Amino acid sequence: MLAQYGYVGILLICAIGFTVIIPLIPKILMVMGLIPTKKNPTKEGQYECGMQTIGKTWVQYNFRYYFFAVLFVLFDMLTIFLYPWAVNVTGLGVGGLIAVGIFLAILIIGYLYAWRKGALQWK
Amino acid sequence: MIMEHIQFIAPEISLLCFALLIVLLDLFITQKRVLPVLSVIGAIVAATFIIVIWNTPPVGLFDKMISIDPFGLFFKLLILAATVLVILASHNYVLKFNKFQGEYYALLMLSAVGLMLLVSAINLITIYVALELSSISLYALVSFLKDKKSSEAGLKYLILGGVASAILLYGMAFIFGLTGNTCLTCIAEYVRGMPFKDLQEVPALMIGLVLIIAGFGFKIASVPFQMWVPDVYEGAPTTITAYLSVASKAAGFGVIARVLMTVFGLPVWLHNDWAMIIAVLAAITMTVGNLVAIVQTNIKRLFGYSSIAQAGYMMVGLAAMGLTMGTKENVTGGLIFFLLSYTLTNLGAFIAIIAISNKINSDEIEDYNGMIKRSPLLALGLTICLISLAGLPPTAGLIAKIYIFSGAVNMGLAWLVVIAVINSVISAYYYFKIAKAMWLGTPVTEEKVDASWPEWLALAACVVGVLALGVVPGLFMNLTTAAVRIFGI
Amino acid sequence: MLTVGLTHFLILSAILFAIGLFGVITQRNVIKVIMCLEIMLNAVNIALIAFSQSVAPVSLTGQIFAIFVMVVAAAEVAVGIAIIFSIYRNHESIDMEKFNILKW
Repeated sequence: MLAQYGYVGILLICAIGFTVIIPLIPKILMVMGLIPTKKNPTKEGQYECGMQTIGKTWVQYNFRYYFFAVLFVLFDMLTIFLYPWAVNVTGLGVGGLIAVGIFLAILIIGYLYAWRKGALQWK
Repeated sequence: MIMEHIQFIAPEISLLCFALLIVLLDLFITQKRVLPVLSVIGAIVAATFIIVIWNTPPVGLFDKMISIDPFGLFFKLLILAATVLVILASHNYVLKFNKFQGEYYALLMLSAVGLMLLVSAINLITIYVALELSSISLYALVSFLKDKKSSEAGLKYLILGGVASAILLYGMAFIFGLTGNTCLTCIAEYVRGMPFKDLQEVPALMIGLVLIIAGFGFKIASVPFQMWVPDVYEGAPTTITAYLSVASKAAGFGVIARVLMTVFGLPVWLHNDWAMIIAVLAAITMTVGNLVAIVQTNIKRLFGYSSIAQAGYMMVGLAAMGLTMGTKENVTGGLIFFLLSYTLTNLGAFIAIIAISNKINSDEIEDYNGMIKRSPLLALGLTICLISLAGLPPTAGLIAKIYIFSGAVNMGLAWLVVIAVINSVISAYYYFKIAKAMWLGTPVTEEKVDASWPEWLALAACVVGVLALGVVPGLFMNLTTAAVRIFGI
Repeated sequence: MLTVGLTHFLILSAILFAIGLFGVITQRNVIKVIMCLEIMLNAVNIALIAFSQSVAPVSLTGQIFAIFVMVVAAAEVAVGIAIIFSIYRNHESIDMEKFNILKW
């Protein structure tokens, strides 16, 4: 019982040690003079590549994002049925293949509908 | 292994194919008048398939997921009839959302597919999926007008419907946990084999039973799950209100009757318990519906409360049906006959209302004043339907009520029948309030009100049906008795 | 030693269900209401899977049921969000208390 918690403890110590040591390595190397220490604003930024954030994070999003979110959720859901089928393709045989084919065909009609109605465009 | 039974679900498959075809066609054609024709053809094709398989002996298909039996087939025909009548009645109404006709008809048919699967489902999973297929289509249809009222009604329907289905699912989870099965007949076997004498000894079964009754109670609009009805009925497009009030309610009663009768039908103590719950709910439901209906001024809202009251009468039939299990009495066609009569009557009334309110752009009862002078036939049709709803001769409503009440008295529910009769008298007051406004009121304008030919056709079909059921009920009683015989009563 | 059994899962599920129901009744923001609805459905999923594990571990019926519940819930949310768009366009708000044209 305690031994099992012991493993967790070891993991915890490793994790803490790792997170402390990794940021310290460059500092140590810098002190030893092994790496160059030229400073510039880009290097000092939060993100080395990419842009600085502008404004606060709690802004109201354009509600068009919801359209894409809804479409994503709907088409994302197809994997939940495909996965159990994919796990046992051979066992389910031709019947399963036909069933999944019909399922996908219906989804494609939904996709066609969204496409023709312009739901995929940002306007 | 799937293919050999495919003909038994051909009605649903064909209806689904037509719905998808309508969605696709709507994307590519500009002549939208083809769409209702296609949807009516789809419904007729489905009905033909049903008649072809009508005489097959009851059978459970696809690992006991779907059952084909006279009970389910009867309800399927009823739902298809309601769908066709609603499509006919939508002829002028759809012009309000001209751009979205395709979606309207497709969603209506998808909802019909869901309801048809619902009444023949014999597995908890199929019941849930079918229920949600119809409900989700209806959520979208209720908010179809996209104005303030309609979208608000849609949101209320969605949230309350979602809560109701979560409650239903929780009940199903308990039943599954108790029995380890989701197929109704397997659960029934387990329940019959239990060594108990009282519901309190099996808390899981009690929780499951109560939660399932609550969940289906939403669909059939029984107290305490009736509060969505008036709002949704008022806000929804009138055609969808008509559909909700008949097809959705009929299927709800179909599935609740099937679940209660097969799963909880025997042993005797069990059906006595739930029949009593249903009986008490019935008494409260019809009283609440009738009393609140009296003060309504909006006709759609009034019909909302009226449909709550009617659900109360139907629950009297359901309670009697439960008590009949295991006895030799033969009273149980009452509920089915009442549903048939109610479907025709309420649809007839709504078709007249759709035609009138489409012209005068108002749902207030006072705007119906003197309608007899502006459109004698529409007013006459609406009056006949109102007479039938109130339960007076020579219409279907009277026979249905006698049938259902006499059955209940035979099963010892005399107290409930007394309440129901008092309620019928109260209901006559507000039904005749509308009739009085139409026949004796002075019209605001002399402008004539007319309907299009599909609306006339639908109204005529309903009125003829109401009168036929009232004059020669014997023809249909055999049908309704045959429908319930599968429960072994 | 304490083992986590069916009872614990059922208690968790009951608590989640109650939290969801409470949220649906009290929350004013429609999005939050729909999220609470999801919590209720997920509570049912936990109950179903726990039952499936302990009552019918071979047949997997409960797990299949849970998959269907998830899919249907996603469809329901999609329709819900669409209705909220339409409400937002009409009311410029998604506060439940402002939807009072129809009395509850």
